[in-house]
Formats: sequence, C-alpha cells, structure tokens
Amino acid sequence: MTAFVTKTKAQHVDHAKGFNAALARLGAKEQHKPDPKYLAYVNSQKSGLTNAGAVVKLAIALEDVAAQTYTNDVSLVSTSELRQLFAGVAGVEAQHKAILLAVQALVAAGAPQLIALPPNAAKLPKAAGHIGFPDAFFPTKSASPASEGAVK
Amino acid sequence: MSPRDETPAEIAISEGELRSMTRTLDEMHQDSMSDVRTSMAGLSERISSATGSIANRRAFLLGGAAVVGAGVLAACGSSSSGGTPSAKGGPTSPSGGSPYLGDLKVVALAAALENLAVAGYGLALTNAKKGKYGAVPPAIADFVVTARKQHHEHAAAWNGVLAKAGLPKVTMPSLTITPSAVAALKGAKKITDVAAIALNLENAAAETYVFATANVTDAGGIATAASIAPVEAMHAAILSFVLGKYPVPNADIGISNAVPPSALTA
Repeated sequence: MTAFVTKTKAQHVDHAKGFNAALARLGAKEQHKPDPKYLAYVNSQKSGLTNAGAVVKLAIALEDVAAQTYTNDVSLVSTSELRQLFAGVAGVEAQHKAILLAVQALVAAGAPQLIALPPNAAKLPKAAGHIGFPDAFFPTKSASPASEGAVK
Repeated sequence: MSPRDETPAEIAISEGELRSMTRTLDEMHQDSMSDVRTSMAGLSERISSATGSIANRRAFLLGGAAVVGAGVLAACGSSSSGGTPSAKGGPTSPSGGSPYLGDLKVVALAAALENLAVAGYGLALTNAKKGKYGAVPPAIADFVVTARKQHHEHAAAWNGVLAKAGLPKVTMPSLTITPSAVAALKGAKKITDVAAIALNLENAAAETYVFATANVTDAGGIATAASIAPVEAMHAAILSFVLGKYPVPNADIGISNAVPPSALTA
C-alpha cells in the first residue's frame, strides 16, 4: 500500500502539471492550491483518520470526485487536446478508485494480507471480482463545477 | 502493495456483507445509467435529425470523417498502457462500401470492440466450465461475468445509436484484430493467460474511447465515450492486480494502442 500511495501521489502531481501546462498554453492563471471545498472536507475528516479503513474511504471519495469531474469536463471543453487530456486523466483516477474499492473490501474482510502483488487469487472473496467497478458507465453526478477552483 | 503472504488467513467478511456492499454500488450504477441514457438519446436524436436529408446526412458524416483517422493517432502520441499491438491504419474514408462513416464509424467501431470483449469473455467462461483452465478462482470468474455484462451494456448503447440512425447494428466483433485475439484465447491454457489477453483488450478499449473523445464531433458521442473509457480502465486495473502487475502503471490513459476506425470490417 505504501508503494501505491507513493506512486498515486506522483501521478496526481503529474496531473496537476498537465492541467497547469494547459492553462499556461491558454494564457490563463495556473492553479497551485487545493480545491477549497475538498480541502475543507479533508480537514474535517483528519481527526477520524485513525485506521486504514477510514483513510481508504476518504481516498475513494477524493478519487471518485476527481474522476467524475474530469469525465464531465471532457464535455465542457472545446478542443480535442483538452478532451483527450481530461479523458486520459479521468481513466487513471478511476483506476485509483477501482483499486481502493478492492482494498476497502479486503480491509473490511480482515484480510489485508491479500493486498499484495500478486494476490493469492484463490483466496479472494468472490465479490472482490467486481467490487472495483460498480458502474457500466462512469457517473458524473458528483462532478465539481469549474467555478469551484480557488483561483478566480 | 505488500509482499505476498503465502499463508493468508480466512476472510472474516461474509459473502452476505460483500453482497450488501455490492447492492449499494449497484444502486449507484443505476443512477449513473440515467445520465448515459440521456446522452445516448441526444446523440441518436441529433443523428436522426442530421440524417433526415441526403444533403444533411453527407454533411454530418463527412464532418466526423474529417477528423477521425489514424493520422491523428500517430500525431497524438502518448503513454502506452498495454501490450496490444497498435492497429494503426490509414485515414478513415467513405470507401469499401461500409455504411458507417464519420462519427458513426467510430460508433460502429465501439460496438464491434464491445462485441469482441463480450465474445472473448464468453469463450473464456465456456472453456472454464469445461475445465480447460483447471480450478478458476471465484473472484476471477466473478470478474469475467461482471465485465462481460458491462461490455454487453456498452455494445447495446452504441447499437442503439446505429439503429436510430437507420443503420444496421454491429452484432459481431467485426474488426481486423479479432482473428488474432480469438486465436490467442483459444490457445490459452491457464486462467492467467486469459486474464493477460483480456488486459490487452481492456487497455486497447480504454485508449480507443480516449481517442474517440478527442475525435468524435457529436456532444452525446463524446460524453458517452468519456463515460465508458474509465470503466474499461478500471477493468484493466483489476486485471493487472490479479496478474501481479502494478495496477495503475501510467499517469494518463494514452492512445498509442487505440484501435483505429480503419480496423472496422463491417
């Protein structure tokens, strides 16, 4: 899990660089601060982050809103380059969510030892086969609006 | 991820508890479906409207054809996330007697790709039931059943658009890559062989939809491709995990392994 957290953080740094590069190309102000709505949410959750389950639950919430937002943003931007950027990143946030959902199920099952590469597939609970991808079509109901950014 | 523990403990959670979690997720899925139905209905209506006259039909179809092509693939290189051989081809053109042109060619390609996934997972299930792969872990069998169902829903959605446009549905995996994929599946001796083939296909599908978001002109088509791409990427992540590969290898879903419209044989 430590390796996953480290690499996931690096991927989010890459995403921020990609989005800021797009802003720079468009002559717009770069965004280097966290989304204020979700920063407040994270801060409100900090005291409860006392176990792996709580941390994973928070991470799922953040990855989900990111993936939903970028999936929605694909339809809001006007150039093919930006659509590809948002779609390409949305897929990765969705992958983070998929793995975290699987991890959550295994932690809830009291079987964190199955969170390994490779996992002992024969020991995985049957439902673990699909718990990572609950939707046939990725939702966008919780997408953040563009107006939510910190830089005006 | 921690090193594999060779002596895992029994799982403390019951199947009932997991099913309860799954029911909640299924309810979320039904919510998301309503958005997709709206986008697909919009796409269908716009296509029906645009194809209402011969002149409009030509303008609509060629509008998409102008930007859809493997030339775009080559020009938009990005990170790769799979081992499927790239099926780069020439620019899409109204040739070969195919009724699918422009945006609708991408829709038909998507339907064919989903059909390949449905057929591939179906073949794997059939072979698993015959015992060809030995004992199949329940989680992997569950993955195959669920992923197949979702691909079936994707194919139905795309075929709904084709039907509304007055075009034949694509009900077969009509793709140049199908023979090699089928041959590989038939040669698979272990369930992990099947998973590796599926991983390549899921990665290619995810990349194809990312490509589609950038190259389809219709808003409903863009939204639908955008909503399916993450799901294929999630399938790929879980397959990678099962295979012992790092599940999120790249910071973005590229398009270098996207299946180009020229791979459509329908």
